[in-house]
Amino acid sequence: MSSVTAGGKVASADAPSVLKRFATSPTLQGSLTTIAFLLLFVGYWIWLGDTFVNVDARLLDVHQNAPILVLGLAVMVTLIAGQFDLSVGGMCTLTTFLSIGLVVDKDWAFGMVLAACILAGLVGGLINGLLVVKLGVNTFIATLGTGGVFLGISNVLFGGTQLAPTEKSPQLPTWFTGDGSLGSFGEKFPSIIVWIGLAACAYGLFRWIQARRPEGRTASSWTVVSAAITVVIAAILFALNLPAWVNGVSVTIGVLALIGLILWVVLRYTTYGRYLYATGANPEAARLAGVKTDRETITAFVIGGLLAATAGVLLAANQGAASPDIGTGFLLPAFAAAFLGTVIMSTGRFHVWGTLIGGTFLVWVTQGLIVGGVPFTWTDVINGVVLVAAVAVSTIFRRRA
Amino acid sequence: MTKTPRLTVNGLKKSFGSNRVLHGIDLAFEPGQFIGLMGPNGAGKSTLIKILDGLYSADEGSIKLDDEVVRNLGSRKECGFIHQDLGLIEDMTICENLRLGQAPMKLAGPILNLKREREAAAEAISRVGLDRDVDTPVSALSPGEKTLVAVARTLDRGARILFVDEATSTLPAADSRRLMDALRATVDDGATVIMVSHKLSEILDDTDRVVVLLDGEVSTDEPTVSLDRESLVERLVAHESEGAVEEDAVACEPGEELIALEAACAGRAGPVNLSLRGGEITGLTGLPGSGLHDIGFLVHGSMKPVRGKVKVDRKIKRALVPPHRETQGGIPLNSIRENLTLSSLDRWRNLGRLLALRREERDAQRMTTDLNVVPGDAAGPYGVLSGGNKQKVIFGRVLLREPQVYVLCEPTRGVDIKTRTEIYRLIRKLRSRDVAVLVISSDSEDLFAVCDRIGVVDDGTVEELVPAEQMNTQQLEALV
Repeated sequence: MSSVTAGGKVASADAPSVLKRFATSPTLQGSLTTIAFLLLFVGYWIWLGDTFVNVDARLLDVHQNAPILVLGLAVMVTLIAGQFDLSVGGMCTLTTFLSIGLVVDKDWAFGMVLAACILAGLVGGLINGLLVVKLGVNTFIATLGTGGVFLGISNVLFGGTQLAPTEKSPQLPTWFTGDGSLGSFGEKFPSIIVWIGLAACAYGLFRWIQARRPEGRTASSWTVVSAAITVVIAAILFALNLPAWVNGVSVTIGVLALIGLILWVVLRYTTYGRYLYATGANPEAARLAGVKTDRETITAFVIGGLLAATAGVLLAANQGAASPDIGTGFLLPAFAAAFLGTVIMSTGRFHVWGTLIGGTFLVWVTQGLIVGGVPFTWTDVINGVVLVAAVAVSTIFRRRA
Repeated sequence: MTKTPRLTVNGLKKSFGSNRVLHGIDLAFEPGQFIGLMGPNGAGKSTLIKILDGLYSADEGSIKLDDEVVRNLGSRKECGFIHQDLGLIEDMTICENLRLGQAPMKLAGPILNLKREREAAAEAISRVGLDRDVDTPVSALSPGEKTLVAVARTLDRGARILFVDEATSTLPAADSRRLMDALRATVDDGATVIMVSHKLSEILDDTDRVVVLLDGEVSTDEPTVSLDRESLVERLVAHESEGAVEEDAVACEPGEELIALEAACAGRAGPVNLSLRGGEITGLTGLPGSGLHDIGFLVHGSMKPVRGKVKVDRKIKRALVPPHRETQGGIPLNSIRENLTLSSLDRWRNLGRLLALRREERDAQRMTTDLNVVPGDAAGPYGVLSGGNKQKVIFGRVLLREPQVYVLCEPTRGVDIKTRTEIYRLIRKLRSRDVAVLVISSDSEDLFAVCDRIGVVDDGTVEELVPAEQMNTQQLEALV
């Protein structure tokens, strides 16, 4: 077959070269991690059968781990600015206690309670930001310290023991926690919104493929190919029982997706997001280009604090109770999710969907092992291994880039 | 003491992409010579040193020590490299710095013989004429003393061929005198010293032989005694006319004053008095370390004056091409588009305050094409571009901001002749009644190519500004 002419014609004529180009494309190499995970899940399926591929059980995983995923977003925002926020675990515990304790112990109106949680996140993030930016305290030390303070405040206020409503105490609102509430898995998110979201994703995928037209292809023929690929992927998803997944989305998962959507828009479509990425990648160059790097970094800590506070509130809704050690184990999976996000679908950048998908995969990998008989005590071992592996792989990506 | 080997370099060639930096360098260095290596920015000096050090590999050619062919000299103990970054650990003492990376002197088992190490260190620094307690932390030394410690360490490790890369450029005169004396003593001892420098006087006073690189070729290789100041300057600017005059600029009546420094001080600069008016291109030059770039930062506003003031209207937009492209210029992981639009993102915000990515992409692509950036896809990564193309992207960023005050630091540092010409054309096109341009460059050629008036920065202050046509390169070099 002769080489392709400028106009580019028939699909069969350049099929081998397209294949070869696809195999060596950065897109494929960037999604290798995703493919590896999918293969792993196929392995789980063969090993565990329907006990693993169980729509309700897997969505319940996401539901229960939604606070960790929100924490993943919180550390991601500060990581984009080139900073590490180790205080998110403490902040999350604090707002969990505030949500439960201010009602149960102090009998506050619930609106005031939520306002107090938001204020805590705001002030906590601001303190972190000022410490790091204005005083120049090392980011690890500053946030390690403030994290201890946040956790400590919850102990001071509520006695450092487990806290839950009793029969005599004031009760939490029924829309917030318990059966049929924000925190319950049984309460489903309107599926019509999920369908609209998925349709938007499909359109996005179509446009994404369309924009990557190989040389020597006419625009119209590539549009047909793009549409075909999108339809095939959609068909595969339907074959995998997509409607059941959609109907199983709980309110908490829906809220999680909404938080992700808002953050994604902020990072991708606002000047703030662009400045933040620039600040993290090369603060000196960004400053000289006119970016107010100090302000961007402080804002990143504030957003991180607010997200961590939100995670605590979600946790309170989820559990209906608060205990002092609840948020401490969250730091590791949160960072693992953020770093895993850099090696999923992309090459070495922190991003929202990567963090959420990475965090979800992480939960499923651990759950799969637990379903298969590995004791749950192995969870942190797996989280730690994944964190280090993700950082190693993303370092390699960056070196190549 | 080991014998100093003879260093020969044959037909060394190096290209970065399509940019040929070294076109075949042939040089031989006999033992016991003090060689000055000179040439304008971008001539290939640092590339040559980096190849010899082993940081780059040559495309063609060979390096020989006596008759032995070696891949690079960086790993050989008879060769030592002293870069502008001296590689000393500030928090450690002179003695600890000297012993670092050498076989430890042991008392018994793993216990160090600290007394002997101190004595060895004291002897090493006395050889370079430094009289200091070896327990002094390096951070307490003057810049010149630090350089001497670096020389002592290199010699102590057994180096007989020394490469000194612009080590004197940031030193005050007295300190650089001490360094030159130490280097001369080393040469008298039979070692070879190859020193890269821009300072005419120290090359003429202290070296035995001068090698000048111009555009990647050895253009001059003569004993120092056969040269005087004027003839050396002529050899350094032999290609002065190239890319220079090109009359596409319209003469322009000076407009209003846009920004003025009044006895402003910051960093190494000051007190500086400088007034920039619309329609004028002002040029400043000076030695590295003279506070040249800090004046640029002051005018740009990225440095605030500690004393004095900067008089400028709040509405006046300013933009900067920073002097150190690699660290201060662009963001390597981002795309060309993101680097181009960073300073003027507001322009692509639509009604909902969100960015119109498609419009941004289109405008960035147009700028990439206009500036002739290669490869010309604005979605491609910035980090892999060559130096000249990176510089074009940084220029594009400044142009997209459409400022009234342009501060262009080292606009042609490390770019090839073709790009240099393109950049000159760009700068000349900026001239208009309500735009002031400040070009700050240690390469005087830049100033003659584009500027209306030229000033010399010495010790942080600007002497008077002279109309460019009343000066020539030789006069300017003499002032610097």
